[in-house]
Amino acid sequence: MDQLIIADRKFDSRLLIGTGKFASSKIMAQAIEASGSQIVTVALRRVDITNQNDDMLSAIDRSKYLLLPNTSGARTADEAVRLSRLARAATGINWVKLEVTPDPYYLLPDPIETLKAAEILVKDGFVVLPYINADPILSKKLQDAGTATVMPLASPIGSNQGLKTRAALEIIIEQATVPVVVDAGLGLPSHAAEAMELGADAVLVNTAIATAADPVKMAEAFKLAVEAGRIAYLSGAAAESKKASASSPLTGFLRNE
Amino acid sequence: MSVLKINGKDKSFEEDSMPATLTDLLRLMKVDSATVVAELDGQIIERANFATTPLKDGQTIELVRFAPGG
Repeated sequence: MDQLIIADRKFDSRLLIGTGKFASSKIMAQAIEASGSQIVTVALRRVDITNQNDDMLSAIDRSKYLLLPNTSGARTADEAVRLSRLARAATGINWVKLEVTPDPYYLLPDPIETLKAAEILVKDGFVVLPYINADPILSKKLQDAGTATVMPLASPIGSNQGLKTRAALEIIIEQATVPVVVDAGLGLPSHAAEAMELGADAVLVNTAIATAADPVKMAEAFKLAVEAGRIAYLSGAAAESKKASASSPLTGFLRNE
Repeated sequence: MSVLKINGKDKSFEEDSMPATLTDLLRLMKVDSATVVAELDGQIIERANFATTPLKDGQTIELVRFAPGG
């Protein structure tokens, strides 16, 4: 498969994996391995001072995976900027998945605060991957502000509803000059394949893998779906029509007419 | 008696047990500093500077690390 390039960094996998909701750090590590992913998202939280074993992410081999910290929990641009700077101090690298989600029910991203934070972070030298609603105008404004990608949602985070924003995603993909990573709401490998067939550069999946009955097998299924979708996109889809069009020859039938 | 606000909660120390630096505080709380980032009165402290960052009565400290997330 052709490589994904984000901010001059090359990746063989077009599947990004989130680390939330796994039953154990062992299953998480096995699922990441099976997914073939090279970019793994993490959150930043207060240390649980009462629990010395709360460092679940020590199971991730940081030499193999790019840890992509998110700003989850941020409700404003200022909170997202603060979290980004803490994350940079923690990873030593300047990549951040920017998310500003003030609404706890649907967790939809705030477009105004996200753009504001993106402008500050880009000026501060960050590689910014913003999580957004599927808004083509916002996507353009973010890429003009210098973000490394745009990450439009397929449907609300963790909802597993699939590509509810398909029409808007098609416009975003058509107009984008930076990689488009479809994030949030992909519940099945077929959803991921559909996004890739549309021309998305990558997808990010968490809940659908982490909460599957067998997360490791499901990670592999998503890996294959993303590869299939990408190859299909590059192959140029055959045209759709209302009428049937016979696949077998319409001559030489064994009948007398 | 000295007080530090750590992750939103006040923690009191007798004068002779007050940790001198961030490294001392983490050791006292048995937190592995290798994965922790600190914010002291709103200023980020790099891990390399934990041992040389003195603590004073009344300071606010945030200790954060990576957690699972999407």
